[in-house]
Amino acid sequence: MTQNRTVPPATNRLSKQRRYRRLMVGSLLGGVGLSLALRVLDYPLAGEAVYWLGVLGFLAVWFGTSVTLFDERDRALERRASQLALLALAPVLVVGASAARVLPLVSDYAVPAAVWPALYAYVSVYVVFGVAYAWVRSGR
Amino acid sequence: MNNALRQRRGDVGMSQADLAAAVGVTRQTINAIERERYDPSLELAFKLAAHFDCRVEDLFDPALD
Repeated sequence: MTQNRTVPPATNRLSKQRRYRRLMVGSLLGGVGLSLALRVLDYPLAGEAVYWLGVLGFLAVWFGTSVTLFDERDRALERRASQLALLALAPVLVVGASAARVLPLVSDYAVPAAVWPALYAYVSVYVVFGVAYAWVRSGR
Repeated sequence: MNNALRQRRGDVGMSQADLAAAVGVTRQTINAIERERYDPSLELAFKLAAHFDCRVEDLFDPALD
């Protein structure tokens, strides 16, 4: 197109970057959203297929382009966000586990059966983190 | 960390997008560095210094007491 010839390469690259990032997020969110809608409408298999299309679309854009979509700052933001998420979840686990153990002993309150799997899931997140930390620390 | 990136970029008349493309990061990263909201890795700091043909310490000042 004529317009493309007049666009400086960096600007062109920037618009590509924006477009691809939107495409990735759109593909994933669209897939998840449509999948939920199809499940509600009682088309569970079609919903699952759409979900996977969304995921594959996300991966196809990510790995299919040579444009830098994520850089060191994105990775630094992810690291910081992961640390904050773990930090925010820790009190829930510490207090929740203790409360779940103590409450049945000191009161008539029966902890719902669903609480224990949730607590084990929390614990498993920290176990996976610990293993990943040890692996990274060992130099991979 | 204090830095002179915006000034250096302005001196040569480059846009943030141009500089980002030249050193292989996103424009948002250049913007965050200029606003001193992100400290670049050593690798990126050296790339930026090489791009402006100066020393890293000419671009970045850790402002140590």
